[in-house]
Amino acid sequence: MTDLPDHTQPQRSLLQQDARTVKRNRAEKRFKMYGIVAIAIGLLMLAILLVTIVGRGTGAFQQTFLTLDVQLLEAKLDKKGDRNIEDIKKVSTFGYAPLMSAALEAKVATLGIQTELKPKAMADILSKDAAAQLRDFVLANPDLIGTSVEFKFLTNSRVDGYMKGRVSRESIANDKNINAAQLDLVDALHAAGALQTQFNLSFITGADASDARPEAAGMGVAMIGSLFMMLVVLILALPIGVAASIYLEEFAPKNLLTDIIEVNIANLAAVPSIVFGILGLAVFINYMHLPNSAPLVGGLVLTLMTLPTIIISTRASLKSVPPSIRDAALGVGASKMQSVFHHVLPLAAPGILTGTIIGLAQALGETAPLLLIGMVGFIASNPPDSIASGLLAPNSAMPAQIYEWAKRADPAFYERAWGGIIILLVFLVTMNAIAVLLRRRFERRW
Amino acid sequence: MKDNVISETDVMSNKIKIAARNVQVYYGDNHAIKDVSVDILDKTVTAFIGPSGCGKSTFLRCINRMNDTIAISSVQGDILIDGEDIYDSNVDPVQLRAKVGMVFQKPNPFPKSIYDNVAYGPRIHGLARNKADLDEIVERALKRAAIWNEVKDRLLAPGTGLSGGQQQRLCIARAIATEPEVLLMDEPCSALDPIATAQVEELIDELRQDYSVVIVTHSMQQAARVSQKTAFFHLGHLVEYGETDKIFTSPEDPRTESYITGRIG
Repeated sequence: MTDLPDHTQPQRSLLQQDARTVKRNRAEKRFKMYGIVAIAIGLLMLAILLVTIVGRGTGAFQQTFLTLDVQLLEAKLDKKGDRNIEDIKKVSTFGYAPLMSAALEAKVATLGIQTELKPKAMADILSKDAAAQLRDFVLANPDLIGTSVEFKFLTNSRVDGYMKGRVSRESIANDKNINAAQLDLVDALHAAGALQTQFNLSFITGADASDARPEAAGMGVAMIGSLFMMLVVLILALPIGVAASIYLEEFAPKNLLTDIIEVNIANLAAVPSIVFGILGLAVFINYMHLPNSAPLVGGLVLTLMTLPTIIISTRASLKSVPPSIRDAALGVGASKMQSVFHHVLPLAAPGILTGTIIGLAQALGETAPLLLIGMVGFIASNPPDSIASGLLAPNSAMPAQIYEWAKRADPAFYERAWGGIIILLVFLVTMNAIAVLLRRRFERRW
Repeated sequence: MKDNVISETDVMSNKIKIAARNVQVYYGDNHAIKDVSVDILDKTVTAFIGPSGCGKSTFLRCINRMNDTIAISSVQGDILIDGEDIYDSNVDPVQLRAKVGMVFQKPNPFPKSIYDNVAYGPRIHGLARNKADLDEIVERALKRAAIWNEVKDRLLAPGTGLSGGQQQRLCIARAIATEPEVLLMDEPCSALDPIATAQVEELIDELRQDYSVVIVTHSMQQAARVSQKTAFFHLGHLVEYGETDKIFTSPEDPRTESYITGRIG
């Protein structure tokens, strides 16, 4: 008995932490702190991002307008006086310019503003788009020729910038588009209440505008382009992706070939999107001769890009349906297909929808493949008038439009790029929120 | 052990329902069932007992070809039901499974209403001509599964909301709604508490009036209580098969004796 080691140890108190425990607890505390720091950095970046975007972008939703009463002189607009629309159409925007400068001159006179500017120079504070705005109105309402109508005209982007604080009297020293006298006039008009900054719906609904008229540029047509692309993606990628996943997951034999296919689908999901763009250029445009810049082609390219995402998420949600459900269905004599379509697919549907929406959101924000099929650039088009023209007429897309604005020289376009980002983010956040809601709403436990 | 017996131990029928001849099952290289031959009688409860991994569940799943769903499994030998080889190339496993119903270890109701759970089988097999027919089939199946009184007021409630024992009886109702001739039960009580187990066991004894019931169980008491015939599996072999009474009182094979007395398994 004497050779047994003595196991009696000095009694340890539970009230006192030993060195090991102290070290362990300290390590745990440190690790928790690293986590909190990491999350804090992430949140800070997010906050900076949001503040920057909102701060720079909200300006784009507001525009400076000048209220004028315009005399729609019959002598200028409809010399024959018979209201023949074809004749009225012959009057170009140049024909409308004198009406506007006359209206502005009258306004300045009634308000009693002193200025040495000539009426034509005064009218330069208006947007180059204002005459078109007036012409469109007259063409739509030829009956009003001969009367006086109140209009809110867009002002020049420099005037708008001055009102928003982007343009100052110092910064216009070398600017040919505006001078100090015009700014004095703007200040006076603003003081008199004729010129004010307000919400501008046409930024959301309108079309892109040329370099000289940033104040008239809008996101609407690009949004429609994106919408048509998403339609193409949804109509093609969802059924193809779901069918492929069901086959691979439920029916396909597990062998080398399906393993290779599986690995390649995973690889496709990681292929840079510009590769899909050049593939689309080669196949859809050069080989199949589909039109350039068409949302149909954009949609096809984005379908290729979205398919792997949809297939992977669909397969994951099919896999998460417990095998006992399949057994139960087969056990009562359902065929394989019945067990999939009656039981497995309905249970996997929320996951499939979530994956699809996230895939669509990804496609919505994708720019690179559109570069190669000609959807990025100044594509001045009117909103499409039919589904066919929506698919085939040249158009841009939201992210492409943002890129296009960001690379133009005028700072007024830069502001619009930020505004466009807000619109795009609203779409993306909404889509992701729908995906999260669907997942929460239909999540099942068994 | 006699005291626990709730069923008549005499075998009511001598008609052979399922005849297995030299059945071999392989999972890849693993030889899971080795040369099993057995005759299972009609209107009888047959229990498969044996230690874990002995192949009793595998053999059970051969009887309605559920093993077909496992890609690497292969079955050799013949299994005849009413004299017809169920592994014949002309046999569609879907038709077979309508004739041979199955109840699984874990209650697995569909995440649908109680009514839809039971009505699903009859619907896909076209057993009901109209809604009234279907209602009747559902009611009959739920009554035979001894759960009707508990669920008759909430047929449209989800089947997954029932208790474990109720879910298992719902699964039994689902299995018998398609009018099978054989009912396979793979450890139907292993997830249930003693009260629910007693209810299911009573039910099994009643089902014997109409079906040939094959039950896999880990509980020897359960086998003794509900079955008339018992088969003891060990390491893929069918070691002994006979009257339940005899297996539990005077087994012939020393391995059977060791198992039922608790020395192996």
